[in-house]
Amino acid sequence: MHKTKLQTIYFSLLVAFICVLLPWSGTALKLRPDFVLLVIIFWILRAPNKCNIGTAWFIGLWVDLATGGVFGQYALAYTVTTFVAVIYQRRLVLFSNTQQLVYVLLLLIISQLTLLTVKIFSGNDVLGWSYFLPSITGVILWQAAVALGLNTSRPSRSK
Amino acid sequence: MAGYHQNLDQQQAPAFFARGPSPLARLAFFSALSLALMATDSRLQYLGSVREHLMVVLQPLQLIANAPSVLYDSTSEYFSTHHRLLNENQFLRKQALVQAISLQKMKALTLENTNLRELLAANQSLEEFSQLGEILHVGRDPFTKKIIVNRGSNQQVVDGAAVVDAKGVIGQVTRTYPASSEVTLITDKSLTIPIQIERNGLRAIAFGHGRDNTLDLPFLPANVDIKRGDKLITSGIDGVYPKGLAVATVTDIQTSADSPFARIVCIPTGGIENHKQVLIVSISQPDNPASTNAATQQPGNADIATKAAAPTKPDAAQSPASKVPENKTPAVPVPATENLNQHKKPANPTPAVVTEPSTTHKPHAQD
Repeated sequence: MHKTKLQTIYFSLLVAFICVLLPWSGTALKLRPDFVLLVIIFWILRAPNKCNIGTAWFIGLWVDLATGGVFGQYALAYTVTTFVAVIYQRRLVLFSNTQQLVYVLLLLIISQLTLLTVKIFSGNDVLGWSYFLPSITGVILWQAAVALGLNTSRPSRSK
Repeated sequence: MAGYHQNLDQQQAPAFFARGPSPLARLAFFSALSLALMATDSRLQYLGSVREHLMVVLQPLQLIANAPSVLYDSTSEYFSTHHRLLNENQFLRKQALVQAISLQKMKALTLENTNLRELLAANQSLEEFSQLGEILHVGRDPFTKKIIVNRGSNQQVVDGAAVVDAKGVIGQVTRTYPASSEVTLITDKSLTIPIQIERNGLRAIAFGHGRDNTLDLPFLPANVDIKRGDKLITSGIDGVYPKGLAVATVTDIQTSADSPFARIVCIPTGGIENHKQVLIVSISQPDNPASTNAATQQPGNADIATKAAAPTKPDAAQSPASKVPENKTPAVPVPATENLNQHKKPANPTPAVVTEPSTTHKPHAQD
Protein backbone atom coordinates (compact mmCIF):
# COMPACT_ATOMS: atom_id res chain seq x y z
CA MET A 1 0.00 0.00 0.00
CA HIS A 2 1.45 3.28 -1.02
CA LYS A 3 1.51 6.34 1.12
CA THR A 4 -0.51 9.29 0.05
CA LYS A 5 1.62 12.34 -0.13
CA LEU A 6 0.32 15.58 1.26
CA GLN A 7 1.36 17.32 -1.94
CA THR A 8 -0.85 15.01 -3.97
CA ILE A 9 -3.83 15.98 -1.85
CA TYR A 10 -3.22 19.68 -2.13
CA PHE A 11 -2.47 19.47 -5.82
CA SER A 12 -5.70 17.62 -6.52
CA LEU A 13 -7.61 20.16 -4.44
CA LEU A 14 -5.99 22.93 -6.42
CA VAL A 15 -6.99 21.32 -9.69
CA ALA A 16 -10.55 20.89 -8.42
CA PHE A 17 -10.58 24.52 -7.36
CA ILE A 18 -9.45 25.64 -10.81
CA CYS A 19 -12.30 23.56 -12.23
CA VAL A 20 -14.64 25.65 -10.07
CA LEU A 21 -13.00 28.81 -11.40
CA LEU A 22 -13.61 27.86 -15.02
CA PRO A 23 -15.96 30.30 -16.72
CA TRP A 24 -19.15 28.31 -16.36
CA SER A 25 -22.34 29.86 -17.57
CA GLY A 26 -25.94 29.05 -18.39
CA THR A 27 -26.93 25.39 -18.25
CA ALA A 28 -23.38 24.29 -17.57
CA LEU A 29 -23.40 26.41 -14.42
CA LYS A 30 -26.60 24.74 -13.27
CA LEU A 31 -25.12 21.32 -13.88
CA ARG A 32 -21.65 22.03 -12.54
CA PRO A 33 -20.72 19.37 -10.01
CA ASP A 34 -19.02 20.38 -6.80
CA PHE A 35 -15.50 19.32 -7.83
CA VAL A 36 -13.88 20.44 -4.63
CA LEU A 37 -16.24 18.53 -2.38
CA LEU A 38 -15.86 15.38 -4.48
CA VAL A 39 -12.10 15.54 -4.14
CA ILE A 40 -12.40 16.14 -0.41
CA ILE A 41 -14.72 13.14 -0.01
CA PHE A 42 -12.29 11.02 -1.98
CA TRP A 43 -9.37 11.98 0.21
CA ILE A 44 -11.39 11.47 3.36
CA LEU A 45 -11.95 7.90 2.22
CA ARG A 46 -8.36 7.37 1.24
CA ALA A 47 -6.37 9.36 3.75
CA PRO A 48 -8.54 10.46 6.66
CA ASN A 49 -5.57 11.52 8.73
CA LYS A 50 -4.27 13.88 6.08
CA CYS A 51 -7.48 15.38 4.78
CA ASN A 52 -10.03 16.07 7.43
CA ILE A 53 -12.69 18.52 8.50
CA GLY A 54 -10.16 21.32 8.85
CA THR A 55 -8.96 20.89 5.28
CA ALA A 56 -12.53 20.97 4.07
CA TRP A 57 -13.25 24.11 6.05
CA PHE A 58 -10.19 25.84 4.70
CA ILE A 59 -10.86 25.05 1.07
CA GLY A 60 -14.50 25.97 1.68
CA LEU A 61 -13.34 29.48 2.50
CA TRP A 62 -11.63 29.71 -0.87
CA VAL A 63 -14.74 28.51 -2.63
CA ASP A 64 -16.62 31.21 -0.73
CA LEU A 65 -14.17 33.72 -2.04
CA ALA A 66 -14.55 32.45 -5.58
CA THR A 67 -18.33 32.52 -5.47
CA GLY A 68 -18.28 36.01 -4.01
CA GLY A 69 -20.80 35.12 -1.34
CA VAL A 70 -20.64 35.76 2.37
CA PHE A 71 -17.56 34.17 3.92
CA GLY A 72 -18.20 30.89 5.66
CA GLN A 73 -21.14 29.49 3.72
CA TYR A 74 -19.30 26.85 1.75
CA ALA A 75 -16.95 26.41 4.67
CA LEU A 76 -19.88 25.45 6.86
CA ALA A 77 -21.43 23.21 4.22
CA TYR A 78 -18.14 21.37 3.69
CA THR A 79 -17.56 21.07 7.43
CA VAL A 80 -20.94 19.44 8.00
CA THR A 81 -20.57 17.14 4.99
CA THR A 82 -17.08 16.00 5.86
CA PHE A 83 -18.23 15.35 9.42
CA VAL A 84 -20.80 12.89 8.12
CA ALA A 85 -18.20 11.41 5.80
CA VAL A 86 -15.62 11.06 8.56
CA ILE A 87 -17.83 9.30 11.09
CA TYR A 88 -18.77 6.67 8.53
CA GLN A 89 -15.37 6.55 6.87
CA ARG A 90 -14.40 3.05 8.03
CA ARG A 91 -17.68 1.59 6.82
CA LEU A 92 -17.60 3.63 3.67
CA VAL A 93 -14.40 2.11 2.37
CA LEU A 94 -15.86 -1.39 2.74
CA PHE A 95 -18.99 -0.52 0.80
CA SER A 96 -19.54 -1.89 -2.66
CA ASN A 97 -19.35 0.55 -5.51
CA THR A 98 -23.13 1.04 -5.70
CA GLN A 99 -23.49 1.57 -1.97
CA GLN A 100 -20.66 4.05 -2.07
CA LEU A 101 -22.33 5.89 -4.90
CA VAL A 102 -25.55 6.28 -2.92
CA TYR A 103 -23.57 7.48 0.04
CA VAL A 104 -21.66 10.04 -2.01
CA LEU A 105 -24.96 11.30 -3.39
CA LEU A 106 -26.22 11.64 0.16
CA LEU A 107 -23.12 13.60 1.14
CA LEU A 108 -23.45 15.95 -1.82
CA ILE A 109 -27.09 16.55 -0.98
CA ILE A 110 -26.22 17.22 2.65
CA SER A 111 -23.76 19.84 1.49
CA GLN A 112 -26.32 21.49 -0.75
CA LEU A 113 -28.98 21.40 1.93
CA THR A 114 -26.68 23.08 4.41
CA LEU A 115 -25.90 25.76 1.88
CA LEU A 116 -29.59 26.16 1.08
CA THR A 117 -30.43 26.59 4.74
CA VAL A 118 -27.81 29.28 5.18
CA LYS A 119 -28.95 31.03 2.02
CA ILE A 120 -32.61 30.96 3.00
CA PHE A 121 -31.72 32.41 6.39
CA SER A 122 -30.00 35.29 4.63
CA GLY A 123 -33.09 36.03 2.58
CA ASN A 124 -32.65 34.15 -0.67
CA ASP A 125 -35.34 32.46 -2.67
CA VAL A 126 -35.67 28.72 -2.97
CA LEU A 127 -34.43 27.82 -6.41
CA GLY A 128 -36.56 24.79 -7.14
CA TRP A 129 -35.51 21.21 -7.75
CA SER A 130 -32.94 22.09 -10.39
CA TYR A 131 -30.82 23.33 -7.50
CA PHE A 132 -29.98 19.72 -6.67
CA LEU A 133 -28.80 18.81 -10.17
CA PRO A 134 -25.12 19.34 -9.26
CA SER A 135 -25.44 16.45 -6.80
CA ILE A 136 -26.56 14.16 -9.60
CA THR A 137 -23.80 15.28 -11.94
CA GLY A 138 -21.38 14.95 -9.03
CA VAL A 139 -22.29 11.30 -8.59
CA ILE A 140 -21.97 10.74 -12.31
CA LEU A 141 -18.52 12.27 -12.20
CA TRP A 142 -17.62 10.06 -9.25
CA GLN A 143 -18.79 6.98 -11.13
CA ALA A 144 -16.85 8.09 -14.19
CA ALA A 145 -13.72 8.47 -12.09
CA VAL A 146 -14.23 5.01 -10.58
CA ALA A 147 -14.80 3.55 -14.04
CA LEU A 148 -11.55 5.15 -15.15
CA GLY A 149 -9.74 3.29 -12.42
CA LEU A 150 -9.82 5.52 -9.38
CA ASN A 151 -9.62 3.33 -6.33
CA THR A 152 -12.10 4.49 -3.73
CA SER A 153 -12.51 1.32 -1.77
CA ARG A 154 -9.19 0.95 0.01
CA PRO A 155 -7.69 3.54 2.26
CA SER A 156 -3.97 3.95 2.17
CA ARG A 157 -2.44 2.92 5.44
CA SER A 158 -0.21 5.89 5.83
CA LYS A 159 1.63 6.83 8.97
CA MET B 1 -8.64 -13.59 30.57
CA ALA B 2 -10.40 -11.09 32.80
CA GLY B 3 -7.16 -9.24 33.18
CA TYR B 4 -6.76 -9.12 29.45
CA HIS B 5 -10.17 -7.55 29.06
CA GLN B 6 -9.43 -5.02 31.72
CA ASN B 7 -6.21 -4.21 30.01
CA LEU B 8 -8.02 -3.72 26.74
CA ASP B 9 -10.55 -1.37 28.28
CA GLN B 10 -7.95 0.79 29.85
CA GLN B 11 -5.54 1.05 27.04
CA GLN B 12 -5.57 3.98 24.69
CA ALA B 13 -6.66 3.53 21.14
CA PRO B 14 -3.74 2.17 19.16
CA ALA B 15 -1.82 4.57 17.00
CA PHE B 16 -3.51 3.21 13.90
CA PHE B 17 -6.84 4.59 15.06
CA ALA B 18 -5.54 7.79 16.59
CA ARG B 19 -7.08 10.69 14.73
CA GLY B 20 -6.58 13.70 16.92
CA PRO B 21 -9.65 15.55 18.16
CA SER B 22 -12.92 13.72 17.66
CA PRO B 23 -14.91 14.52 14.53
CA LEU B 24 -17.65 16.00 16.66
CA ALA B 25 -15.22 18.41 18.32
CA ARG B 26 -13.88 19.42 14.93
CA LEU B 27 -17.38 19.86 13.59
CA ALA B 28 -18.34 22.09 16.50
CA PHE B 29 -15.16 24.14 16.22
CA PHE B 30 -15.23 24.72 12.49
CA SER B 31 -18.98 25.27 12.37
CA ALA B 32 -18.70 27.92 15.04
CA LEU B 33 -15.86 29.49 13.11
CA SER B 34 -17.91 29.52 9.91
CA LEU B 35 -20.93 31.01 11.63
CA ALA B 36 -18.77 33.68 13.23
CA LEU B 37 -17.27 34.49 9.84
CA MET B 38 -20.67 34.71 8.25
CA ALA B 39 -21.91 37.05 10.94
CA THR B 40 -18.80 39.21 10.67
CA ASP B 41 -18.95 39.38 6.93
CA SER B 42 -22.62 40.04 6.48
CA ARG B 43 -23.32 42.30 9.45
CA LEU B 44 -20.11 44.08 10.36
CA GLN B 45 -18.42 44.51 6.97
CA TYR B 46 -14.94 44.07 8.40
CA LEU B 47 -13.82 41.61 5.78
CA GLY B 48 -14.01 43.77 2.69
CA SER B 49 -10.30 44.49 2.56
CA VAL B 50 -9.43 40.91 3.48
CA ARG B 51 -11.50 39.76 0.53
CA GLU B 52 -9.76 42.21 -1.77
CA HIS B 53 -6.32 40.99 -0.75
CA LEU B 54 -7.28 37.35 -1.13
CA MET B 55 -8.71 38.07 -4.56
CA VAL B 56 -5.25 39.17 -5.63
CA VAL B 57 -4.00 35.72 -4.65
CA LEU B 58 -6.84 34.20 -6.62
CA GLN B 59 -6.02 36.20 -9.73
CA PRO B 60 -3.37 33.87 -11.22
CA LEU B 61 -5.59 30.85 -10.67
CA GLN B 62 -8.39 32.70 -12.38
CA LEU B 63 -6.10 33.41 -15.32
CA ILE B 64 -5.27 29.72 -15.60
CA ALA B 65 -8.94 28.82 -15.44
CA ASN B 66 -9.83 31.34 -18.10
CA ALA B 67 -7.01 30.30 -20.39
CA PRO B 68 -8.87 27.51 -22.23
CA SER B 69 -11.83 29.68 -23.15
CA VAL B 70 -9.59 32.57 -24.11
CA LEU B 71 -7.56 30.25 -26.28
CA TYR B 72 -10.71 28.85 -27.84
CA ASP B 73 -12.04 32.33 -28.56
CA SER B 74 -8.84 33.51 -30.13
CA THR B 75 -8.39 30.44 -32.30
CA SER B 76 -11.99 30.44 -33.47
CA GLU B 77 -11.59 34.09 -34.31
CA TYR B 78 -8.45 33.30 -36.21
CA PHE B 79 -10.22 30.69 -38.27
CA SER B 80 -13.32 32.74 -38.90
CA THR B 81 -14.15 32.91 -42.55
CA HIS B 82 -13.11 35.66 -44.87
CA HIS B 83 -16.68 36.15 -45.96
CA ARG B 84 -17.98 36.66 -42.46
CA LEU B 85 -15.29 39.17 -41.69
CA LEU B 86 -16.10 41.14 -44.83
CA ASN B 87 -19.78 41.21 -43.95
CA GLU B 88 -19.04 42.30 -40.43
CA ASN B 89 -16.69 44.96 -41.66
CA GLN B 90 -19.28 46.36 -43.99
CA PHE B 91 -21.90 46.37 -41.27
CA LEU B 92 -19.63 48.09 -38.81
CA ARG B 93 -18.63 50.72 -41.34
CA LYS B 94 -22.27 51.53 -41.98
CA GLN B 95 -22.95 51.69 -38.30
CA ALA B 96 -19.99 53.94 -37.68
CA LEU B 97 -21.26 56.32 -40.32
CA VAL B 98 -24.73 56.47 -38.82
CA GLN B 99 -23.30 56.98 -35.38
CA ALA B 100 -20.86 59.62 -36.49
CA ILE B 101 -23.77 61.68 -37.72
CA SER B 102 -25.70 61.40 -34.51
CA LEU B 103 -22.56 62.06 -32.53
CA GLN B 104 -22.04 65.29 -34.38
CA LYS B 105 -25.58 66.29 -33.60
CA MET B 106 -24.89 65.33 -30.02
CA LYS B 107 -21.92 67.66 -29.81
CA ALA B 108 -23.93 70.55 -31.06
CA LEU B 109 -26.73 69.73 -28.66
CA THR B 110 -24.40 69.40 -25.71
CA LEU B 111 -22.89 72.75 -26.51
CA GLU B 112 -26.28 74.31 -26.84
CA ASN B 113 -27.45 72.69 -23.67
CA THR B 114 -24.51 73.89 -21.63
CA ASN B 115 -24.89 77.37 -22.98
CA LEU B 116 -28.54 77.43 -22.09
CA ARG B 117 -27.70 76.14 -18.66
CA GLU B 118 -25.15 78.85 -18.20
CA LEU B 119 -27.74 81.36 -19.16
CA LEU B 120 -30.08 79.95 -16.60
CA ALA B 121 -27.24 79.68 -14.09
CA ALA B 122 -28.51 76.22 -13.43
CA ASN B 123 -26.45 73.54 -11.84
CA GLN B 124 -24.21 71.76 -14.25
CA SER B 125 -25.39 68.28 -14.91
CA LEU B 126 -23.10 65.51 -13.90
CA GLU B 127 -20.43 64.44 -16.31
CA GLU B 128 -20.22 60.73 -17.01
CA PHE B 129 -17.18 58.58 -17.32
CA SER B 130 -17.36 55.31 -19.13
CA GLN B 131 -14.99 52.50 -19.94
CA LEU B 132 -15.25 49.21 -21.71
CA GLY B 133 -15.08 46.07 -19.66
CA GLU B 134 -15.10 42.46 -20.67
CA ILE B 135 -17.09 39.81 -18.86
CA LEU B 136 -14.66 37.35 -17.29
CA HIS B 137 -17.24 34.92 -16.09
CA VAL B 138 -20.72 34.61 -14.72
CA GLY B 139 -21.09 34.63 -10.95
CA ARG B 140 -20.75 31.17 -9.48
CA ASP B 141 -23.40 31.52 -6.85
CA PRO B 142 -26.65 30.09 -8.23
CA PHE B 143 -28.64 32.21 -5.79
CA THR B 144 -27.53 35.55 -7.13
CA LYS B 145 -27.32 37.10 -10.57
CA LYS B 146 -23.85 38.46 -10.92
CA ILE B 147 -21.11 38.76 -13.47
CA ILE B 148 -17.44 39.49 -13.03
CA VAL B 149 -15.83 42.00 -15.40
CA ASN B 150 -12.17 42.65 -15.99
CA ARG B 151 -12.01 46.24 -14.75
CA GLY B 152 -11.37 46.96 -11.13
CA SER B 153 -10.39 49.64 -8.72
CA ASN B 154 -7.04 49.90 -10.53
CA GLN B 155 -9.00 51.20 -13.49
CA GLN B 156 -11.01 53.66 -11.42
CA VAL B 157 -14.12 51.53 -11.32
CA VAL B 158 -16.06 52.53 -8.23
CA ASP B 159 -18.77 50.78 -6.28
CA GLY B 160 -22.15 51.79 -7.55
CA ALA B 161 -21.16 52.45 -11.15
CA ALA B 162 -23.82 51.54 -13.68
CA VAL B 163 -23.10 48.83 -16.22
CA VAL B 164 -24.70 48.91 -19.64
CA ASP B 165 -24.36 46.99 -22.85
CA ALA B 166 -25.29 47.87 -26.39
CA LYS B 167 -28.98 47.37 -25.74
CA GLY B 168 -29.53 48.74 -22.30
CA VAL B 169 -28.74 48.70 -18.63
CA ILE B 170 -27.61 45.37 -17.28
CA GLY B 171 -26.60 46.12 -13.71
CA GLN B 172 -24.50 47.89 -11.17
CA VAL B 173 -21.00 47.40 -9.79
CA THR B 174 -21.40 46.14 -6.25
CA ARG B 175 -17.91 45.08 -5.32
CA THR B 176 -14.58 46.15 -6.71
CA TYR B 177 -11.37 44.20 -6.58
CA PRO B 178 -8.02 45.49 -7.83
CA ALA B 179 -8.27 43.94 -11.28
CA SER B 180 -11.89 42.93 -11.55
CA SER B 181 -15.23 43.93 -10.25
CA GLU B 182 -18.47 42.22 -9.46
CA VAL B 183 -21.58 43.42 -11.23
CA THR B 184 -24.99 42.63 -9.80
CA LEU B 185 -27.44 42.28 -12.65
CA ILE B 186 -30.73 44.12 -12.62
CA THR B 187 -32.49 40.78 -12.48
CA ASP B 188 -30.94 40.07 -9.08
CA LYS B 189 -33.37 40.12 -6.22
CA SER B 190 -31.40 42.65 -4.24
CA LEU B 191 -31.11 45.24 -6.98
CA THR B 192 -33.62 47.94 -7.73
CA ILE B 193 -33.53 50.50 -10.48
CA PRO B 194 -35.55 53.71 -10.81
CA ILE B 195 -37.29 53.75 -14.16
CA GLN B 196 -39.65 55.77 -16.21
CA ILE B 197 -42.19 54.61 -18.75
CA GLU B 198 -40.97 55.94 -22.06
CA ARG B 199 -44.51 56.51 -23.37
CA ASN B 200 -45.94 58.65 -20.58
CA GLY B 201 -43.07 59.50 -18.28
CA LEU B 202 -44.53 57.63 -15.33
CA ARG B 203 -41.85 56.98 -12.71
CA ALA B 204 -41.51 53.75 -10.81
CA ILE B 205 -38.92 51.45 -9.34
CA ALA B 206 -38.15 48.11 -10.92
CA PHE B 207 -37.08 45.20 -8.75
CA GLY B 208 -35.14 42.20 -9.94
CA HIS B 209 -37.17 39.04 -9.80
CA GLY B 210 -34.27 36.85 -8.85
CA ARG B 211 -35.29 33.48 -10.15
CA ASP B 212 -35.89 34.00 -13.83
CA ASN B 213 -34.50 36.81 -15.90
CA THR B 214 -37.33 39.24 -15.37
CA LEU B 215 -38.03 42.46 -13.52
CA ASP B 216 -41.05 43.30 -11.40
CA LEU B 217 -42.80 46.62 -11.06
CA PRO B 218 -44.50 46.22 -7.71
CA PHE B 219 -46.63 48.67 -5.75
CA LEU B 220 -48.29 50.21 -8.76
CA PRO B 221 -52.09 50.53 -8.59
CA ALA B 222 -54.20 48.18 -10.65
CA ASN B 223 -55.39 51.01 -12.86
CA VAL B 224 -51.91 52.25 -13.67
CA ASP B 225 -51.32 53.42 -17.23
CA ILE B 226 -48.91 50.75 -18.35
CA LYS B 227 -49.47 48.60 -21.40
CA ARG B 228 -47.88 45.49 -22.66
CA GLY B 229 -44.90 46.43 -24.81
CA ASP B 230 -44.15 49.65 -22.97
CA LYS B 231 -40.49 50.50 -22.79
CA LEU B 232 -38.88 51.26 -19.46
CA ILE B 233 -35.98 53.68 -19.41
CA THR B 234 -33.83 54.88 -16.57
CA SER B 235 -35.22 57.98 -14.92
CA GLY B 236 -31.85 59.14 -13.66
CA ILE B 237 -33.18 60.38 -10.34
CA ASP B 238 -30.91 58.04 -8.45
CA GLY B 239 -27.71 59.64 -9.63
CA VAL B 240 -26.40 56.19 -10.53
CA TYR B 241 -27.76 55.39 -13.94
CA PRO B 242 -27.53 57.98 -16.69
CA LYS B 243 -30.94 59.14 -17.76
CA GLY B 244 -32.75 57.60 -20.69
CA LEU B 245 -31.07 54.22 -21.04
CA ALA B 246 -33.31 51.34 -22.03
CA VAL B 247 -33.96 48.96 -19.17
CA ALA B 248 -36.77 46.58 -19.98
CA THR B 249 -39.96 45.94 -21.89
CA VAL B 250 -43.27 45.18 -20.21
CA THR B 251 -44.36 41.72 -21.20
CA ASP B 252 -47.22 40.91 -18.88
CA ILE B 253 -49.70 42.77 -16.70
CA GLN B 254 -52.05 40.98 -14.38
CA THR B 255 -54.64 42.53 -12.15
CA SER B 256 -56.66 40.56 -9.70
CA ALA B 257 -59.71 41.55 -7.68
CA ASP B 258 -58.11 40.70 -4.36
CA SER B 259 -55.09 42.93 -4.76
CA PRO B 260 -54.98 46.70 -5.14
CA PHE B 261 -51.71 46.37 -7.04
CA ALA B 262 -51.01 45.25 -10.55
CA ARG B 263 -48.55 42.50 -11.18
CA ILE B 264 -46.25 43.73 -13.93
CA VAL B 265 -43.53 41.59 -15.42
CA CYS B 266 -40.81 43.03 -17.64
CA ILE B 267 -37.97 41.52 -19.59
CA PRO B 268 -34.63 43.36 -19.63
CA THR B 269 -33.58 44.72 -22.99
CA GLY B 270 -29.89 44.38 -22.28
CA GLY B 271 -28.53 41.07 -23.46
CA ILE B 272 -27.12 39.86 -20.21
CA GLU B 273 -26.26 36.42 -21.46
CA ASN B 274 -25.26 37.34 -24.98
CA HIS B 275 -22.42 39.80 -24.87
CA LYS B 276 -18.86 39.72 -23.84
CA GLN B 277 -18.32 43.46 -23.60
CA VAL B 278 -20.02 45.86 -21.27
CA LEU B 279 -19.68 49.56 -20.62
CA ILE B 280 -19.10 50.72 -17.07
CA VAL B 281 -20.54 54.17 -16.58
CA SER B 282 -19.95 56.15 -13.44
CA ILE B 283 -21.47 59.50 -12.93
CA SER B 284 -18.55 61.31 -11.43
CA GLN B 285 -18.99 63.01 -8.13
CA PRO B 286 -17.50 66.50 -7.74
CA ASP B 287 -14.58 65.17 -5.72
CA ASN B 288 -13.87 62.33 -8.10
CA PRO B 289 -10.71 62.82 -10.17
CA ALA B 290 -12.19 60.58 -12.85
CA SER B 291 -14.57 63.36 -13.73
CA THR B 292 -12.25 64.91 -16.22
CA ASN B 293 -11.49 61.68 -17.99
CA ALA B 294 -14.48 61.61 -20.25
CA ALA B 295 -13.89 65.18 -21.13
CA THR B 296 -10.31 64.62 -22.18
CA GLN B 297 -11.33 62.33 -24.96
CA GLN B 298 -12.64 65.11 -27.06
CA PRO B 299 -10.96 68.45 -26.72
CA GLY B 300 -14.14 70.24 -27.62
CA ASN B 301 -15.98 68.62 -24.81
CA ALA B 302 -13.25 69.32 -22.35
CA ASP B 303 -13.70 72.99 -23.03
CA ILE B 304 -17.36 72.67 -22.46
CA ALA B 305 -16.90 70.78 -19.27
CA THR B 306 -14.50 73.16 -17.69
CA LYS B 307 -16.20 76.27 -18.91
CA ALA B 308 -19.62 75.15 -17.92
CA ALA B 309 -18.58 73.95 -14.52
CA ALA B 310 -17.22 77.35 -13.69
CA PRO B 311 -20.28 79.10 -12.35
CA THR B 312 -21.08 76.49 -9.76
CA LYS B 313 -17.84 74.72 -9.01
CA PRO B 314 -14.79 76.92 -9.23
CA ASP B 315 -12.47 74.09 -8.22
CA ALA B 316 -13.69 71.91 -11.04
CA ALA B 317 -13.00 74.65 -13.52
CA GLN B 318 -9.29 74.51 -12.94
CA SER B 319 -9.02 70.80 -13.26
CA PRO B 320 -6.80 70.41 -16.29
CA ALA B 321 -6.83 67.40 -18.50
CA SER B 322 -3.32 66.59 -17.38
CA LYS B 323 -4.66 65.59 -13.99
CA VAL B 324 -5.75 62.35 -15.47
CA PRO B 325 -3.11 59.64 -15.19
CA GLU B 326 -1.62 58.93 -18.58
CA ASN B 327 -1.81 55.23 -18.36
CA LYS B 328 -5.44 55.22 -17.50
CA THR B 329 -7.69 53.30 -19.82
CA PRO B 330 -9.34 55.82 -22.02
CA ALA B 331 -13.03 56.22 -22.06
CA VAL B 332 -14.19 54.17 -24.95
CA PRO B 333 -16.31 55.63 -27.68
CA VAL B 334 -19.66 54.08 -27.58
CA PRO B 335 -20.24 50.91 -29.56
CA ALA B 336 -23.37 49.75 -31.32
CA THR B 337 -26.86 51.05 -31.03
CA GLU B 338 -28.04 54.51 -30.55
CA ASN B 339 -29.20 54.59 -26.97
CA LEU B 340 -25.64 54.27 -25.93
CA ASN B 341 -24.85 57.40 -27.79
CA GLN B 342 -26.32 59.10 -24.84
CA HIS B 343 -23.53 58.08 -22.57
CA LYS B 344 -22.20 61.58 -22.65
CA LYS B 345 -25.61 63.00 -22.30
CA PRO B 346 -26.12 65.09 -19.21
CA ALA B 347 -27.69 63.14 -16.44
CA ASN B 348 -30.44 64.44 -14.33
CA PRO B 349 -29.94 68.10 -13.64
CA THR B 350 -31.91 68.28 -10.41
CA PRO B 351 -29.48 67.77 -7.58
CA ALA B 352 -32.23 67.88 -4.99
CA VAL B 353 -33.22 64.35 -5.74
CA VAL B 354 -29.78 63.00 -6.50
CA THR B 355 -29.02 60.42 -3.91
CA GLU B 356 -25.99 58.43 -2.98
CA PRO B 357 -25.06 55.88 -5.65
CA SER B 358 -25.43 53.11 -3.16
CA THR B 359 -29.09 53.65 -2.60
CA THR B 360 -30.26 51.32 -5.27
CA HIS B 361 -28.14 48.62 -3.89
CA LYS B 362 -29.01 47.10 -0.57
CA PRO B 363 -25.80 45.79 0.92
CA HIS B 364 -27.50 43.66 3.55
CA ALA B 365 -29.29 41.66 0.93
CA GLN B 366 -26.29 40.86 -1.19
CA ASP B 367 -26.50 37.18 -0.75
